[in-house]
Amino acid sequence: MLKAIRRFFGEKASGQVARQRMQVVLMHDRLDLTPDILQALKNDIMVVLSRYMEIDDQSIKVDFEQGKNYTALVSNVHIKRVYRRSAPAENT
Amino acid sequence: MAGKTIVVTSGKGGVGKTTTVANIGTALAKKKYNVVMIDADIGLRNLDVVMGLENRIVYNLVDIIEGKCRKQQAMIRDRKLSNLFIIPAAQTREKNAVNPEQMKALCTELAEEFDYVIIDCPAGIEQGFRNAIAGAAAAVVVTTPEVSAIRDADRVIGLLEANLLTDIHLIVNRLNHRMVKKGDMMSTSDIISLLAVPLLGVVPESEEVVISTNRGTPLVLERGSKAGVAFQKIAARLNGEKIPLDDGDAESFLIRMKRYIWS
Repeated sequence: MLKAIRRFFGEKASGQVARQRMQVVLMHDRLDLTPDILQALKNDIMVVLSRYMEIDDQSIKVDFEQGKNYTALVSNVHIKRVYRRSAPAENT
Repeated sequence: MAGKTIVVTSGKGGVGKTTTVANIGTALAKKKYNVVMIDADIGLRNLDVVMGLENRIVYNLVDIIEGKCRKQQAMIRDRKLSNLFIIPAAQTREKNAVNPEQMKALCTELAEEFDYVIIDCPAGIEQGFRNAIAGAAAAVVVTTPEVSAIRDADRVIGLLEANLLTDIHLIVNRLNHRMVKKGDMMSTSDIISLLAVPLLGVVPESEEVVISTNRGTPLVLERGSKAGVAFQKIAARLNGEKIPLDDGDAESFLIRMKRYIWS
């Protein structure tokens, strides 16, 4: 009964919780991304983005999302300013 | 013609590898195939007690590999089925008493004499695992609907594929229908979508399994046992028979009626 009330208020069934947790865990296990590699990935994303816009380099976040048939890499970065020139020369 | 070599593995311990080996091996022997089961869990042997053959051990796997006895001397014939054998593990040796090349050579030799060579893999992913998979052409991964077992199964599947063992099938053991129905256990389809490996069958959670191992008689030899029937179907599918994957997830009409009346 208590359980039914909890469910009513939006608590997920534990089987569903387990499945969602496993989706994330297995993805991380399979990707085998060490913190070093993740940091390198963030740095590279920032280098590429900074060619086109001024970004807040403390703000970058990289997450993985599991859809039904795909795994997505989602990166959020705060943009401070977009350069007028579309593609500045490589080493400016 | 050479027989089929199959390793039964899981990563995590205690999910039912040995029970699965004993039941699949016995079911295939009941179908008149010549079957040998190898306990590759050196130092922690158990297949002998599950099969009720613990009193007959003289020689073991390591003795064969070290040339201390002939293959036939270490093979123990089942009490009921004369075409079923086990090769017990050594109890007082370590995993590194055997190497993958030696296991491979032994499995190849056995596959010439037997229709099925079934290898009971130890838990873990170290030397014992590498030995057990070395001689196998196909793998059966056993898991239960728990997060730890599934994570370890995923790891093991990755390692099998890295070792070019790509003929992999999954058994979901100890599924509790009542809990799945209530939403408190991952369903078979949840597990399949997570692990992305074809399903060989589902074995319902059952007290009968404990009772049969207590007696040392595999469940497939007993009548009217649901888990035993599940193992029989699994063995048949492994043997290439087309049996629909209906067991496990579906409950029998009678059980549903009983539950309906009682609730």
